[in-house]
Amino acid sequence: MLNTFNSSIVKKAVSKKNVMNYISFMAIFILVLVFTAMDSSFVNKANLKNLLSDTAPLMIMAAGMTFVILLASIDLSTGAICSVANVLVVKFLSIFSEKLGNIYLAALLSFVLALVFGAFAGLIIGLLSAKLKMPSFIASLGLMSVWKSVALLITAAPISIPKKSWGAISWFNINFGVIGFPLILAVLLIGFFFVLQSRTVFGKSVMAVGGNERAARMAGMNVNMTKILAFVLNGVCAAAGGIFLAAKLKSSAPTVGDSFTLLVVAAVVLGGTALSGGKGNLLGTILGVFTVSIIRNGMNIVGVDVFWQNIVFGLVILGAIAITTDRSARSLVIK
Amino acid sequence: MEKKLLFKASNISKIFAGTRALKGVDLEVYEGEVVGLIGENGAGKSTLLKIIIGVQPQSGGEMTMFEKPYEPRTPRDANSAGIGMVFQEQSLIVNLTVGQNVFFGHEKDFRQFGFVNWGKMYKATETALANVSCSHIPARKKVLDLNFATRQMVEIAKVVNLTRSSGHEHCLILLDEPTSVLNETEVQQLFVEIRKLTAQGHSIVFVSHRLDEILSISDRVYVYKDGENAGNMPTADATEERLYEMMVGHSTTTEYYKLDQQRKPEPDVVLDVRGLGLKGVFKNVSFELHKGEILGIVGVVGSGKEDICSVICGDEHPSFGELYVKGEKRRYFSPAQALRDGVLMIPKERMEEGIISGLSINDNIALSNIRLLRSGPFLSTKKMVKQTQDWIKRLRIKTIGKDELLASLSGGNQQKVVFARALCSQSDILILNHPTRGVDVGAKEEIYGLIREMVKQGKSVILLGDTLDECISMSNRVIVMCDGLVTGVFDAPVENKPSQVSVVSLMM
Amino acid sequence: MAASTNAHITITDEFAAKIKAENTKARITRIAPMLVLLALVLFFSALRTNVFLSIGNLSAILNQLAIPLLIAMGLTFVIMLGCIDLSIDGSVGMAGSLMSLLVLNTKNGNHLGMLGVVLAILASVVIGAIIGFIYVKLKIPSFMVSFSFMYICMGIAMLSYGGIPATITDSFLIEVPKIAFFGIPVITWVAVFMFLVAYFIQEYTAFGRYIYAVGTDENIPRMAGVNVNRVKILVFSFAGLCFGIAGVLGGIRLGQGQMQIGIGTMFPAQAAVVVGGTALSGGKGGMLNTLIGVLIITVLDNGLLLMSVNPYIKTGIQGLIILVAVALTVTRSNKIIMK
Repeated sequence: MLNTFNSSIVKKAVSKKNVMNYISFMAIFILVLVFTAMDSSFVNKANLKNLLSDTAPLMIMAAGMTFVILLASIDLSTGAICSVANVLVVKFLSIFSEKLGNIYLAALLSFVLALVFGAFAGLIIGLLSAKLKMPSFIASLGLMSVWKSVALLITAAPISIPKKSWGAISWFNINFGVIGFPLILAVLLIGFFFVLQSRTVFGKSVMAVGGNERAARMAGMNVNMTKILAFVLNGVCAAAGGIFLAAKLKSSAPTVGDSFTLLVVAAVVLGGTALSGGKGNLLGTILGVFTVSIIRNGMNIVGVDVFWQNIVFGLVILGAIAITTDRSARSLVIK
Repeated sequence: MEKKLLFKASNISKIFAGTRALKGVDLEVYEGEVVGLIGENGAGKSTLLKIIIGVQPQSGGEMTMFEKPYEPRTPRDANSAGIGMVFQEQSLIVNLTVGQNVFFGHEKDFRQFGFVNWGKMYKATETALANVSCSHIPARKKVLDLNFATRQMVEIAKVVNLTRSSGHEHCLILLDEPTSVLNETEVQQLFVEIRKLTAQGHSIVFVSHRLDEILSISDRVYVYKDGENAGNMPTADATEERLYEMMVGHSTTTEYYKLDQQRKPEPDVVLDVRGLGLKGVFKNVSFELHKGEILGIVGVVGSGKEDICSVICGDEHPSFGELYVKGEKRRYFSPAQALRDGVLMIPKERMEEGIISGLSINDNIALSNIRLLRSGPFLSTKKMVKQTQDWIKRLRIKTIGKDELLASLSGGNQQKVVFARALCSQSDILILNHPTRGVDVGAKEEIYGLIREMVKQGKSVILLGDTLDECISMSNRVIVMCDGLVTGVFDAPVENKPSQVSVVSLMM
Repeated sequence: MAASTNAHITITDEFAAKIKAENTKARITRIAPMLVLLALVLFFSALRTNVFLSIGNLSAILNQLAIPLLIAMGLTFVIMLGCIDLSIDGSVGMAGSLMSLLVLNTKNGNHLGMLGVVLAILASVVIGAIIGFIYVKLKIPSFMVSFSFMYICMGIAMLSYGGIPATITDSFLIEVPKIAFFGIPVITWVAVFMFLVAYFIQEYTAFGRYIYAVGTDENIPRMAGVNVNRVKILVFSFAGLCFGIAGVLGGIRLGQGQMQIGIGTMFPAQAAVVVGGTALSGGKGGMLNTLIGVLIITVLDNGLLLMSVNPYIKTGIQGLIILVAVALTVTRSNKIIMK
């Protein structure tokens, strides 16, 4: 009898944890079937390639956001950081190409600077949240408008990357069958982040702080450093997403990242990471990202108005949060 | 003149998730009298009051009001029945005015054409304030602008008004530690008001840890101990000594607290507290903690003992004074900094501050020493698992495995996990804040043994005990705090433990 | 015993002194916004005296603040609760778009006139109520629910006119932006009227008092028998009402119904509410604070425009204002967890 008692507890623990993952998995399965049934070109090679390359920037941004949400925080400025990094990369590329003559060196420098910006943006939110104790949603909201302005000030109109510099971004188009190099890079990064989450002090700290910040603090964990690091990582990932978009579209636009914030949060939540923190992991995020990507791509193929996407993702996020939220925190007052 | 029975509670019991807070207490209140209610922490006074005012239901027993059955489901029910309470925590809304607070929730009595006639309400407020001799308080002033003593009087005016509007001629008013924010003069003013109320036939239940106040204002005194009646008597027959004796429990067996394992501390001073103070909470606290010593701190709610611990462990920043840890002067801004010097606290509120219920035993035990479990840049799963399994065995933690989430463990086992974490953390100055709270008897005994073991290994402990008995029996020395000051220090060697009575007298 | 009683008095006095110091700080925070407004007015008057203080410019400021004021007042009650509503951009745009399709327009045969206006506003009210409901019943933080609904409303707006906005051809509605009483356009009067309504609700109804109570500590009103959930849902519904009115007025002013009416309206409103002194933590502030806040934001906008500052900077500055205002008013305690 003890054995069945044990296994039922274990089963309960396992199933509660992975409900969202099962749902996402089933959703992907069903969606693929439905979209293919509606328009068989959904599964042809060209579209798959397209879908997967679209997924790369999303995947990389969701990686960083996962840590932030695991911390029971949020970064609404992710899309704006992405936009700024995006326009910075292209602007720097043209400046440095002129100055240095070597497009590869110029590209490297531009990428690094864009990532540094991302880290800087993340650092600001991290400090506001950890040191000034500002709620992350308002800190990131305020910064979102700041970065939006910055992007528009750098360039009000889209800039294209001149053809001569295309060599620097040719790596983006390397393909292995339908799978592009950027996607592989993004998945590897998530894999690396997963290791970070489960096998490093930082990862354990994130789970602890997100699970119960007060207890983590009293146990002697360095809560501030954990928060700052997570936001910095998110900033870097958001910037990386901006770089990917620049390479993919061979141009930049100051509003390119705007729509991504919603998609990235949706991906993380669909991956089973709860907004309340301390629950979820990066492997789930992979699943969530694919779900979002398939919905997006599928709706395009099938001819659904792009306007429906906003509604769909808005509802999907709410549904996923409702499922994953830990409502047993009775004493907590939700605002 | 025969006084009529106003309120009666019989055989009230209350069980919270396994612990019996009240084991069958009685209370009788007659019209026009002040009943004092005293007892140690955990005696059940606040629990009973909350039951009477309808915040929580009793698990057993009955209550009557005006000799009719009384079963409130909400505080509003209690108010309608003629019972009101001034809680220990302020329940005024500071950005609203006095009048708006007094009539909060009852605005519809002043409603005209859909909006509230504040003018009418303020007039009624002035009457309510006059009834408790507080006409000097402006009814239209924001509570924010009042001092605490005035706020307290507003609370009392509000409660008196509420109960009287119930239409009953005589009402029952419960006051839970009403004098904690008042100075001498203000306390006397409060007493004058109380006597006026009783002269009109209303009754008061007065809970306070200050025996001198109880003896001064009450007509009869009830003493509760460990959730049970310890006796009651007319105040005229009571003396402080008698009351102290009734309040404390009998000392439990020496084996329970492993007295035979109590050792003499070494002479080295590991922690030196000088003139520590936290504005408005405690002041002028100085003591030394020696290596291998268990130093107990006792005091009632509001004594400041828990805040001292918060300051020492780094959670709060002191306003005055100095802290020397192992000879070095220190200022801590976070528990992480304190941990680096080997100072760690096991917090009182296990669920809110002690454990991370969504994580496994494995993860919880590693919280404090995570940096030591690295091998290279990554964590060594092997080291972590070994550590966890070691401690599960050593502390006999009842679990199905190291990956079980803390949420499914019992209170006692959760506490063992917290202890395991503290012991792995390589801290040697441990502050144990109510370490046996909410833990079953068997686990308690194991924890006592654990504490004795810890000091044997050269660690030093500051102990805030769950009961007075526990603290005195476990400690080498006991510091007594009352209202933010140290009122006494007792040596507590095995052969000559101070009596609970003598300690309690300094706590109040 | 005497010695300890003496020192005990000192601790109580220390405590009282601490409370007094906090109150003084609160008092300073109360007048700070007005000083900021004064400073701004003086600054711009000095820099562009003739233009800034001209009747034309001052009346332009008065008109410019109508719609932001409407939005900010709806948001104020939400923030007084300690919550937030990020759905503004979507809700406002949706109301404007729906209205333009319900009244006489170039895209379909509807001719509902004022009924159409009312229905469009109702849509925003319903959205507000749903946001409040989901927040209360599903216990999802208000920022997340409202954030999702911003996109949902944007989607509804865009779907309704399918990419090509409808132009209003209703003769009455076309005239409305040109009507003025005592030199002030109707649209501004509507904002003034709603402001008075909101102020009235805040000061003269029990509901208004309950908002303060719930924002301070929701257990207190709950124990006093107030239906806290109902208060919350009503507050979000009222916010929806204000956003809806702002949306339809925006559409009437533009002559067209499109999502753009709402885009960018959230930041000035958030900035206005926090800079006016209504704290994010809830329980304090109010309509008058918001009025000052909206004045500050509008004067700032106007001044920057007169100084030919790049218009893209506007949003960034509003963002900075939000950050600074919140940073100054947030509680620094380690024991209360804000996420």
